Amino acid sequence: MLVTWRYKPRKSLIQSFDPRAWIIFFACYIACTVLFWDLRYLLVLFAMAMVVVFTSGIRFSEMRRAWLFIGGFVVFFSFLTFLTGRGGIELYTEEHLITRWEAGFTLLGWRPTLTVTAEKTMYAVSMLVRVFSLASMTILIPYSLNPAHYGIIFKGLGLPDKVAYGMDLTMRFIPSFGRDFMLTRDAQRARGYELEKLSGGLVAQVRKLAPLIVPVTIHAIVSSEDIIDAMDLRAFGVGPRTWLEELHYRTRDRLLIGFGVVMLLTSIALSLFGMGKFWVPQFLLQLAAAG
Amino acid sequence: MDRKLTSVIVSLVAVLVFFLLIVWIGGMINPDLQLDETGVLRFAFVGIGLLIVFIVYLLTRQSQIWEVGTREVVYMAIGAALYAVLSFLFNGTVFAVPSVSQVALRPAVAIPMFFGFAFGPSVGFFTGAVGNMFGDALTGFGLSPQWSVGNGLIGMVAGMALLFKDRQKGVNTVLVVSFILALLATLVFFLNRNVPNMMFFDPEAGIFGDATISWFAGLSAIVGFLLVVGIRFTAVFNKNPEVTAAVAWSLLGNFIGIGFAAISDIWINGYPPAVAIVGEFLPAAGPNSIFAAILVPLLVAAYSSVQRQTGR
Repeated sequence: MLVTWRYKPRKSLIQSFDPRAWIIFFACYIACTVLFWDLRYLLVLFAMAMVVVFTSGIRFSEMRRAWLFIGGFVVFFSFLTFLTGRGGIELYTEEHLITRWEAGFTLLGWRPTLTVTAEKTMYAVSMLVRVFSLASMTILIPYSLNPAHYGIIFKGLGLPDKVAYGMDLTMRFIPSFGRDFMLTRDAQRARGYELEKLSGGLVAQVRKLAPLIVPVTIHAIVSSEDIIDAMDLRAFGVGPRTWLEELHYRTRDRLLIGFGVVMLLTSIALSLFGMGKFWVPQFLLQLAAAG
Repeated sequence: MDRKLTSVIVSLVAVLVFFLLIVWIGGMINPDLQLDETGVLRFAFVGIGLLIVFIVYLLTRQSQIWEVGTREVVYMAIGAALYAVLSFLFNGTVFAVPSVSQVALRPAVAIPMFFGFAFGPSVGFFTGAVGNMFGDALTGFGLSPQWSVGNGLIGMVAGMALLFKDRQKGVNTVLVVSFILALLATLVFFLNRNVPNMMFFDPEAGIFGDATISWFAGLSAIVGFLLVVGIRFTAVFNKNPEVTAAVAWSLLGNFIGIGFAAISDIWINGYPPAVAIVGEFLPAAGPNSIFAAILVPLLVAAYSSVQRQTGR
């Protein structure tokens, strides 16, 4: 049995476009975000993502779990980035100290120290905005693409029939295999298997993962025979494929694609001129100089 | 078919030329352009990776192994979906993934290796590349498309096993090549002991990809290689050449795929070569080869007993 993503038709900005146009725009959006570290540029992209999220017509209760997971993940990692400053060293060379906090105790001769510098703070904030924009655009995709359109979307983007159909099946299988994995885990737990309490050396621990991975994989392969038979009976791959549904670009879709491409080209040009690099606002530097 | 293939290669070359032109023009208008800060290059490396795949295909396309029928399309989708789900579950955010001496348990990589070996290089490539892409999307990241291509290469190389008529000879060649690669990487590790292990995150211990690489992580490529050699000799003993071929080719695929991604990071992220090899390649490829040596044989054995039962 297949589990599906939670798509339903909604009156929303994202669903008013042709899904192919939206995927092209989404790809341009991701590429733009990758190019920038400057918070000011990232905030523009973030605002775009928020407009799309708030006009998506998906109720918060429907996607609460996804948001909690990604929100928690992003905030947690940005906070750690703030504490350690890791990753930032590739972007800035000198740091301006704002404040320094030393713990009033020592742990085994180690005194916990937190140095807050202008660069570290800005790096954590930029990272937060950057990853959060990407994640919020990505969350919306499964809620707003009609599963019946997956194949024709990838075909329409220029992929060959077989690859397009493969991508279609991949997207359909992901939620089902997630469920299968959880079922297998629960079944093994009922027999006393505990993923959380793996013990032994590395080799022993890896071997203990087999009761999860092998059944899920082999079950997936064995149960695929039905799908293969069904596709063969419908003469899959014999000639050029026709698709049940058709998609047609309208003016607004062409405009969206045009907008995405122009946005990407502008971003590339800006980044080649050295714009959009890591940025620290003046007031933080002044704060650092004063402190 | 030939015209299609040429058009694919021509368009890939066109993409590459486009990015090289950008770099060239960009260098003329902005003399202090530092490419690793712009992120443009990662798209160029995706083009290079795909070009490698198509050239390998072009050279070996006489062989049956590249054929894609209904069965392969479905296996591609299954492999990619499984890889996406498992790499999402084991990336440390859903479960607390246990780790031993800086090596976190990320067993998902066995999936593209097994699918590549069992169902051919096209299935392997699709499984690795598309699976990694969707896996990243599930987590909300999607910033490193060159790693998707690298993962695809793992599956593709694992599937090249079927090219050799003489299994034993193929395995021996692969083992020699893998040994040289593992040895070179480990040598770089010995010359650069103080590089951080950028693949290891343990928030509870405050380690965020900045701990100095441990001895075990540094030597893991050699450990994995020795495990594979061990399997080769015990399997010859047990008369099971299938398992030997699977792990040997998976090992090589892993070195080549991760190597591609790590080496491209020299230009993309501006890492010094030693950091790319010791900080990225070893801690990713080394543990992967250990997982391959243990999990791939189990999958191959389970699948062959299924084949015997169903007669397919």
